[in-house]
Amino acid sequence: MRIESEAKEIEFWRVGKRFQLQEGRTLREFVPALFQGRGWSEPFYALRDVTFSIARGETVGIIGRNGSGKSTILKLIAGVMAPSEGEVRAAGRVSPLIELGAGFHPDLTGRENVYMNACILGMSGKEIRERFDEIVDFAELWDFIETPVKRYSSGMYMRLGFSVAIHSNPEILLVDEVLSVGDVAFQKKCLDKMHEFQAQGTTIVVVSHSMALMQKFCQRVLFLEGGRLMGDGSPEEMSERYLEDGEEMVTPLAEVRT
Amino acid sequence: MLGGIHHLVMSQLQIAKRHPLKPAFGVLDFGTALAHFWQRRGLLWHMTVRHLRSQYKQSILGYAWAILNPLSLMLILSFVFSTILRIPSQGIPYPLFLLVALLPWIFFSSALSSATDSVVGASSLVTKVYFPREVLPIAAVFTKIVDLVFGLMILGCLMVYFGHPPEWTSVWFPVLFFIHLLFTLGLALPLAALNLFFHDVRFLVGVALTMWFYLTPVIYPLDLVPERYRMIFDLNPNSLFINAYRRVILEGVSPGLDRLLLGLGISLLTLLVGYYLFKRMEPAFADRI
Repeated sequence: MRIESEAKEIEFWRVGKRFQLQEGRTLREFVPALFQGRGWSEPFYALRDVTFSIARGETVGIIGRNGSGKSTILKLIAGVMAPSEGEVRAAGRVSPLIELGAGFHPDLTGRENVYMNACILGMSGKEIRERFDEIVDFAELWDFIETPVKRYSSGMYMRLGFSVAIHSNPEILLVDEVLSVGDVAFQKKCLDKMHEFQAQGTTIVVVSHSMALMQKFCQRVLFLEGGRLMGDGSPEEMSERYLEDGEEMVTPLAEVRT
Repeated sequence: MLGGIHHLVMSQLQIAKRHPLKPAFGVLDFGTALAHFWQRRGLLWHMTVRHLRSQYKQSILGYAWAILNPLSLMLILSFVFSTILRIPSQGIPYPLFLLVALLPWIFFSSALSSATDSVVGASSLVTKVYFPREVLPIAAVFTKIVDLVFGLMILGCLMVYFGHPPEWTSVWFPVLFFIHLLFTLGLALPLAALNLFFHDVRFLVGVALTMWFYLTPVIYPLDLVPERYRMIFDLNPNSLFINAYRRVILEGVSPGLDRLLLGLGISLLTLLVGYYLFKRMEPAFADRI
């Protein structure tokens, strides 16, 4: 069955994602395993039968325990991975804020890295040239833009990465728990920028453990548990469920203690 | 006309609004894959530059290594195979005879080695953002072209030194090299992908390249090979290329059209199959790194 509507920006239909917990990484290990009929190894389902859709301009949060499949969903939207089952559809330019400055080469200068990173994120040469000044302004790195990036502090590194990512004019923005970089002033700038994106109608998907962020920022929250979509509703409803879940987890430990 | 190509590319991309990584890459997907690649061609430039920088960054001699490597190899091989073993070189000074074949070989060999590690080496990128991954091995191969160009300059100087300047037919060199490049890319792509799944591919490649070196008439002329073994050499595409290089640069013989078409055919076929295999394996990259 195919997804019908054209209006949705992101669509997941019965998506499953299997990982092999690898044992046979070299031929020496793989070939005997093949002969024994063992195949690769045990599959691990990071996601199972996940179906949802996100309309253009929505801001959706994803919460769940660690290992519940949140980052996997982001990677599927970003197109970094393909689903093992089902279909993923994400129209529009995706800009992932997943570990910023990925691909920054330590020996290249800030300027060169901006060009390269922007190119990786899909900007054309012309767009990069036009936005270069804005990018450096936002990151507040004019003094260091010509130094090799290996000399940057981790904060500077992230600010630059973040700045490039947000100036890439994304249609879909994926945020994976990285809104806490830099000092308070910079954080405020980032949040303001996020609000700007919302106003512009950018589709935003946020993964975070911060309930406060979800409630302030997202219109809708998806609750993941063990790779399955357990809830899809308002931030208030979902945070209740998430915290409930957390309580259930804590109690057994307390019992063991006593 | 460029506008027409651009339009074609854009319409192909519109058709492919689905997930960029198709779990089952079919023959019909070639169009969209190439369209994607063309759209992101700027990335190839950046990746190549980044590769070049990192290659020579921390070394004292920097780019001089691009010249020192083939030069020192040529000197030692010349000494052993010409002075000690006295291999005949068809009336041409042995160092020239050797170097004309050695430079393209070094390109081929180092391009494959570098490409094999190219995707694994960029694991941080591959797991974060989507871009057409073939850019990585292609950039690795292109980096080695730069090295080749340096090497050719040395060849030129050496030829003048020996009083045996390049024949006018050397203008065929870019054509021959282009065909050789297609062949190299056709092998580089699937190797880069396979290395992700089986980590020992890079060692296998190393061993295979060593054997291939000796089975290609680089250090010796083809006519030294006994008749009954000639078949191996006829089946070896590198043998075809090496002989062609020698003929145009040293002997002043233009390449025959039939040979040229044969080489082009083999190379294109290799490239198509190689690219197909790469795209087939691409969706699983981020899972394996």
